[in-house]
Amino acid sequence: MRKILRIYKPFTHAGFLLAAQYRVNFIFFIFGDILRCFINYFLWHAVFTSGGAKTFMGFSEHDMVVYIFISFLTGIVSYSDGAFAVGEEIRDGSIAMRMIKPIRFEFAFLFQELGERTMTAMIVFVPLMAGVEIYKFAATGVLGFNIWYFLVYLLSLTLSYLINFYFNVCYGYSAFVLKYLWGSNLLKDCIVGFLSGGVVPLAFMPAGLGFVLNLLPFASLTYIPVMIYLGMYDVPTILLSLGLQVFWLAFFIFLQRIIWNACVRHMSVQGG
Amino acid sequence: MIYVENLRKEFKKVVKEPGLKGSIKSFFKPKNEIITAVDDISFHVPKGEIMGFIGPNGAGKSTVIKMLTGILTPTSGKCEIGGQIPYKNRKNYVKEIGVVFGQRTQLWWDLALRETYTVLKEIYEVDNEQYKKRMAFLNEVLELDDFITSPVRTLSLGQRMRADIAASLLHSPKVLFLDEPTIGLDVVVKDNIRGAIKAINAEEQTTVILTTHDLQDVENLCDRIVMIDKGSKVFDGAIDELKSRYGQSRELRFIPADFKTAEKLDYKREFNLTDDDILVENDGHIISVKFNSDTVSVEKMLSYTLSVTHVNDINVGDADIEEIIKDIYKSGVNPSA
Repeated sequence: MRKILRIYKPFTHAGFLLAAQYRVNFIFFIFGDILRCFINYFLWHAVFTSGGAKTFMGFSEHDMVVYIFISFLTGIVSYSDGAFAVGEEIRDGSIAMRMIKPIRFEFAFLFQELGERTMTAMIVFVPLMAGVEIYKFAATGVLGFNIWYFLVYLLSLTLSYLINFYFNVCYGYSAFVLKYLWGSNLLKDCIVGFLSGGVVPLAFMPAGLGFVLNLLPFASLTYIPVMIYLGMYDVPTILLSLGLQVFWLAFFIFLQRIIWNACVRHMSVQGG
Repeated sequence: MIYVENLRKEFKKVVKEPGLKGSIKSFFKPKNEIITAVDDISFHVPKGEIMGFIGPNGAGKSTVIKMLTGILTPTSGKCEIGGQIPYKNRKNYVKEIGVVFGQRTQLWWDLALRETYTVLKEIYEVDNEQYKKRMAFLNEVLELDDFITSPVRTLSLGQRMRADIAASLLHSPKVLFLDEPTIGLDVVVKDNIRGAIKAINAEEQTTVILTTHDLQDVENLCDRIVMIDKGSKVFDGAIDELKSRYGQSRELRFIPADFKTAEKLDYKREFNLTDDDILVENDGHIISVKFNSDTVSVEKMLSYTLSVTHVNDINVGDADIEEIIKDIYKSGVNPSA
């Protein structure tokens, strides 16, 4: 384990430097996302004002606002560019340059991205988290911050990132067949966004569908960590949800290994 | 060191018919065609040899290199390098080799060059002392100091190539694969890189496999060449052997002291030759005589010329390897020839 860390640590460092290298691009990117978040907020605000009801499917307006911002935060921190990065390397053949090094292909990506994620977290996480807590305090008049929920949330968030990463890498391997992923990647992000509760809470879904969606890996990406943070889950549900996340993580790691081994045998490096 | 036996690689290729209709058709019902990129190639490279691997574009050179470096899995056949099979246990195998693809880079595009080396140091588990010694050595042969702190994307092609070669050598590999290491470089940088390859080969007995289109590389560096065309091996041997097998043409060039006596030279009658054996060109200043040293020895040629006329300057040119290879590429050769 220590050896793995020593070998791949430079990748994290490099990823961090890369994110810092293109910080203007990076800030614009985040800024665009935050704007979308506010649009979402005003939309829900309109829903609650026009409906007149205090709660909607068990969510008060405050809950909804916190849900929007925390699910956005969860989405952005657990975001993985794995699919596109892997797909691009397969498409332009630079995957060859990774294969001539004594490293595990996916680890190199993972640790590099961890560096970039660290940078994101530093810029976005603290201010947004503080903003949400201040809002909660202003709206309800009670200090709702619970350190235990927060720590469990961090754990769940980490799992969520790892699941997302491995899921995306699996998906990225489809470039071996599809050759170019840009279009299908958009479609994937859209579907995953919906299924993971990034657009509307899964609690709003019809009972049967909601149950299925809760079990699918997508719920592990956004919905589970956010519900934990909101304190909507009791202890048994939290444990069950974390267990589900661990299961899906193991599943995708395993799947990734299988696909990779199958692909390598049939690989043809494009260009040059 | 390197054993290759009956190596073969086939690719499946989707055949598309032209036009929009063809595209739509192949989207729903792709037609596959099997292409044999490498067809039954065998060779052996002993330790410490520099082998030139040449052939026209699309001959399958890079495919062979990719199989030898563990990137591609052969369809059939065997290759074994230093007792290891590249595509099995790739991670372990690639610790022993260094690879440079001239058209790609293994450097971190956006980071200072130095960062790449620190990453590589950890990947290959090179200890600090060894790393320092190694960097000093690579610095000496490749002159990296001037740009080691610049981001890789700002390097010129020549700098980048030197940096890439250094990156492939950081862990003192036993075998070095160079796929077109001098592509697009100017004469000075080419020379610098050739010098470095020679120095490393001499210093550490590194076995080198080199593909190139620059025959100067081959003549300067290689102990031996393997030539392939359309996936098959067409020649395997020393450069001299290639020359003696495919071309004995020499060129005698001289500037006669006076042209009157020079005009008396009649090579055809003197040596009993036909038009195919000899070609005399006189541009009024220099006379050039192309002949085959198998039919007339260089010595006889010279002594006859000098017995007839006085010369201001004279030289005998070697067979031009470029000419020979051009002929082979164009006509194709019979491998058994």
